[in-house]
Amino acid sequence: MYVAQSFCHSLIASVLMDQALSAWKIDDPAIRQRFRLTVVLFPVFSFPFYQAIDPGRGSVLFRQNALFDVNRWLNMEIWGAVSFGLLFLIVLAITSLIFLFQEMIPILKHTLESRTMEHEGTRREPDPFIESASRALKIETPQVLIVEDDEPVIFSTTGKNALIVVSTGLTRSLTQDEMHAALAHEIAHIARSQRPLLLAVFFLRMILFFNPVVLIEFRRVVRNEEKICDDIAVLLTHRPEALAEALKKFYAVRKTPEPDTKPKPLFTPVPLEEYSYNIQLDGRIARLVQDPRRNARGGWVLLIVVFLIVASINYFVV
Amino acid sequence: MRAKSYGFLYLLLTIAAVLIVLKTLNWLPTMFQKDMLRKFDSMDEVQSKLNIRDLLVPSYFPESIMWPPSEILAQAKPYPAVLMIFNDAKTRDVALVISEAASDAFSENSLLPFVQITRKVPFDLKNRKALLEVGTCKKDEPCSRLSWTENKYRIVLTMKSPPFELVRIAEGMLP
Repeated sequence: MYVAQSFCHSLIASVLMDQALSAWKIDDPAIRQRFRLTVVLFPVFSFPFYQAIDPGRGSVLFRQNALFDVNRWLNMEIWGAVSFGLLFLIVLAITSLIFLFQEMIPILKHTLESRTMEHEGTRREPDPFIESASRALKIETPQVLIVEDDEPVIFSTTGKNALIVVSTGLTRSLTQDEMHAALAHEIAHIARSQRPLLLAVFFLRMILFFNPVVLIEFRRVVRNEEKICDDIAVLLTHRPEALAEALKKFYAVRKTPEPDTKPKPLFTPVPLEEYSYNIQLDGRIARLVQDPRRNARGGWVLLIVVFLIVASINYFVV
Repeated sequence: MRAKSYGFLYLLLTIAAVLIVLKTLNWLPTMFQKDMLRKFDSMDEVQSKLNIRDLLVPSYFPESIMWPPSEILAQAKPYPAVLMIFNDAKTRDVALVISEAASDAFSENSLLPFVQITRKVPFDLKNRKALLEVGTCKKDEPCSRLSWTENKYRIVLTMKSPPFELVRIAEGMLP
């Protein structure tokens, strides 16, 4: 029951939250992320909460008069042979496998690697920009490690001893302003990863590993996170165009494949993840070109209104 | 301000659309599968349309209970089940609920919910092992429940009264 209802509750929440975001033309990634987080977290608690306030909600009569009873579909048979319930179970199984292979295993691998792996490279001298940016975000100044690599690479490790790893390829291709913007983006990631809220959200999201709506919404939350860090970087550097240029250089490298002497097939399938990443990169550049510095406050009243509507409708979805 | 008003209007329309879609999706399966849980006018209709022949129907009723049932819900799939709701002759409130189902998942505890169960004892019902529960419902009214298994059916009788009449009704259902 929990599985089926949490799926329905998350789907309704997702539709209404999405429509609310477009109704009020909310573009701010921080506010959008709050709406999306509600979709991720609400179905974790909705079923037990409703049952606690009304134990008769699972009764036959309540279901009969409900707005939507998921059992009607789960028990329905296609050509008198296969039930929709079985199809639903297959969808849940596929979602669970995607969660396992695309989220859980990579995260565990990354955690284990970041504990054991030693990054080889030269530590960069303390940079006044990194120090001031870290002070502004109230975090300890992370160390910057330069690694020998012609590819433009930049990433940060989180945790107590946060580290920003930059490739020599990147240092060569970016101007100083662009490099500061890229570093500010990574510092924003480090600062935000130290918030216990995000960790708690991920653990709660794991409870609904089988839910395809939550899987999609959580990915949208992660995408919003990139945009939020872009905005923080712009606040720290006051140069949106510098970050946009840095991203354009990443995008150009990703779009231009390495020269290959082998004959190529007419159609080369692009991995879905890479395609999605490229689209996101494109969207982030477009945002930065338009200057994303908006007022990130507010949105709470709207969120509460929509949340109450979602909670009221879902009470009658059993 | 105007944009905000349009926003609210748009959201209201979306809510209306979501409600209509949910209602339609809830109704759609009943069009394709006629043996799902739905309302019936009489027990004869249940037996003929759902082809459930082995139902137990009370032969004894105290005068305080109205016959026929005020509501009958029944299904043949995913498992056979019937719910009969009887009203009090004077107050017209729900006074007796009888459910017969081939699964324990079929439960109706919202009509006469027990606030407190004071006694829970095994009961010999015409050589069948039954469970008798006595307690109080809302407004401190006495309530009792008798449940047992008859062939493949789990039978539960819940009544807003002390157990004496309930036992007589249950005995009247059995051969």
